[in-house]
Amino acid sequence: MARQTTATRAVRAPAGVLGLGRTTAEILFRSGVYLMLLAGTVLTIFPYLWMLSASFKDHSELFSYPPQLLPLVLRWENYLRLFDKWQFGHWFLSSVIVSASQVVLATFISGMGGFGFAKYNFRWRQPLFTLLVGSMMLPFWVYVIPLYVMMIWIGWVNSYLALIVPWVGSAFGIFLCRQYMLSLPSELLDAARIDGASEFRILWQIALPLARPALGAVAITIFLSSWNSFFWPLVILREQTKYTIPVGLALLLNLNVGQREWGPLMAGSVLASLPIIVVFLFMQRQFISGMVTGAVKT
Amino acid sequence: MAVEVSRTRRTGSLYDRYQRRLAPYIFISPFYILFIVFFVGPVFFGLYTSFTEWTGLGWPRWVGLRNYIFMLTIDDVFNQAFINSVIYVVGNQLLVIPTGLIAALALNAAWLRFKDAFRVIYFIPVLTTGVVVSIVFTLLYSKDYGFLNFVVRLAGFPPIDWVGDPIAAKIAIIIVMIWRRFGFTMVFFLAGLQAIPHEIIEAAMVDGANRWQVFRYVTLPLLRPIILFVLITGIIGAFQTFEEPFLITQGGPSNATLSLAQYLYSQGFAFGRLSYAATIGVALFVVIFVLSFIQMRWFGALRDEEA
Repeated sequence: MARQTTATRAVRAPAGVLGLGRTTAEILFRSGVYLMLLAGTVLTIFPYLWMLSASFKDHSELFSYPPQLLPLVLRWENYLRLFDKWQFGHWFLSSVIVSASQVVLATFISGMGGFGFAKYNFRWRQPLFTLLVGSMMLPFWVYVIPLYVMMIWIGWVNSYLALIVPWVGSAFGIFLCRQYMLSLPSELLDAARIDGASEFRILWQIALPLARPALGAVAITIFLSSWNSFFWPLVILREQTKYTIPVGLALLLNLNVGQREWGPLMAGSVLASLPIIVVFLFMQRQFISGMVTGAVKT
Repeated sequence: MAVEVSRTRRTGSLYDRYQRRLAPYIFISPFYILFIVFFVGPVFFGLYTSFTEWTGLGWPRWVGLRNYIFMLTIDDVFNQAFINSVIYVVGNQLLVIPTGLIAALALNAAWLRFKDAFRVIYFIPVLTTGVVVSIVFTLLYSKDYGFLNFVVRLAGFPPIDWVGDPIAAKIAIIIVMIWRRFGFTMVFFLAGLQAIPHEIIEAAMVDGANRWQVFRYVTLPLLRPIILFVLITGIIGAFQTFEEPFLITQGGPSNATLSLAQYLYSQGFAFGRLSYAATIGVALFVVIFVLSFIQMRWFGALRDEEA
C-alpha cells in the first residue's frame, strides 16, 4: 500500500507505461479483445435483425429450409394484418396511456416525497423512511394475489386504473429523489422562505427543477418497467381491445401452433421494441446512468 | 447531509411555521396512502391467506399450516419449480458474472475505440420487454426451421429439440436469461471500474505489475463490493423468472422448465387456488427477503440511516 501511494505521488505514469509500446503480443491481445467484443455485438444484435427481417417475410419464407436471411421483397402485409386483424393500434394506445400516466404521477409523487424526506425534520421521518426502504425487499409475488382480489372487489378488473394507481407510489423513486435532494443547499430554501414563498412553491419552483436529473432517472425507470410489464396486465385485462402491447403479443404467440401468426408477431415485436431503442440511442447516457445510480447509489 | 435547518432562524409568521411543520407530512402522504392501501394491506392479507383455504369466493377458511406442509413435504411440482428456479439462478449467474466482468474490463481499457457503441449495443436487450425477447427466441429455437438448429446442423450435429427436451429446454431458458441480463451486469461492472482512480492502476504498473497482476491484486479487490452487489441483485432477479418459461416452453416438457413465479400464476390464476398461490408467494418472499437483507446490510442502505 505504502509503495503504491508514493508511486502515485511521484509519477503521473508516462503514456508509454499504459501504451506499453506496440509489441506483437500487445497487438495480438488487442485484436483478441476487439474480436471478442465484436462477437458479443453480433450475438446481441442478431435476434433484432432476425426479427426485423422476419417481419417482412411471408409464410413460405419464414419456414424455408435452409433459413433465408432476407426476404425477397419488403412485404408490409404482416404490419397491415397486425393493425387490421389484431388491432395493434389499440394495444399501442393502451401501452401509451398506462405508461404515460404512471410516469407522470410516479415521478411527481417521488419528487415530492423525496423532498419531504430530504429537507425537513419531522418526528416520524426515521421510522417512516426505514419502512419505505424495507418495503423494497418485498417482491411483487407476496402481495399479487390479494391485490388481484382487491381489484375484483373494487371493480378495477379490466380497467386501466388497476394498471396505473397501485403502481404510482414508488419506494424506489422516493429513495432516489431523497438521496439526490439531500445535497440541495438548505440556505437556498431558507432564502425562499424569507422571501415569503410557501412550502409548496419551494417544492415546485426550486426543489423539483433542481432535482431534474433524479426525476429523469425515476421517469426512465418507471417508463421501462411500465412499458415492458407483462404479468399484472395479463392478469387484469380481459378485453382484447384493452390489451397492452406485451399482453397482445403473448396472445398471438399462444394461439395454437398451427394458427400462430409469425409474420404479425414479428411485426409487433419490431413495433414494441423500436421506439424504446430509438429513444435510448438518443439519450443513452441518461438511461444508463439513471439505472445504475438508481441501483448503486444506496 | 445538511438536513438540519437551523431552528433559531424562524422569521415567518405563525402560519408559516405551522405550514412548515405540516409540509413534509403532506409531501409524503400520497406515497403512504398508496403504500398502505395497495401494499401493506395486501401483504398482510396475503400472509393471512396462506394459512387458509380460499378460492376467492366467500371468506377464507382457516387451515393453519396445511398449505405450508403440503408445499414443503407433498407437492412435487413445487419442489421441481423451486429446483428449476435455483438452476436458472446458478446457470445465469455462473455465466453472466464472468462474461460481464470481462466485457467491462475490455470496455474500460484506455486504448479501446468505439467504447460508447459497444456499451450502447450491449445494453439494448435490457430495454426490450421479456415478451418480445421470448417471441423472437421461440422462432430461433424452432426445431425444424429455426436458425439455431440450422447452425447446429451446419456444425454437423443432429438438430436439438430446444423446447421439447427437458435438459435442452432448461438450457434454452438460461440462454435467453443471459442474453437479457448481460448488458445490465456489464454496465454495473463498468461503473465500478470507472470509479477506481487511474492513479492506483498506474502506480501498480509503474511498480512493474503485469495486466493479470493488476487485475488480480488491484482491480478485483476494489471491485468486490460491486461484484457482490451484482451477484445478489442478479440472484434476486433470476429467481423470479416468469416470462421466458411461461412463453417459450410453457413450463414444459412435464414441468421441466416451470419456474416458481410461473407455478404461482398457474395455481392462482389458472386453477383459482388463491390461498395456495399466496403460500407460494410467501416462499418466494422468504428467499428474496433473506437475500435483500444481506444486500442491504452490506451496501448500507439501512446503515446510512443509523449514521
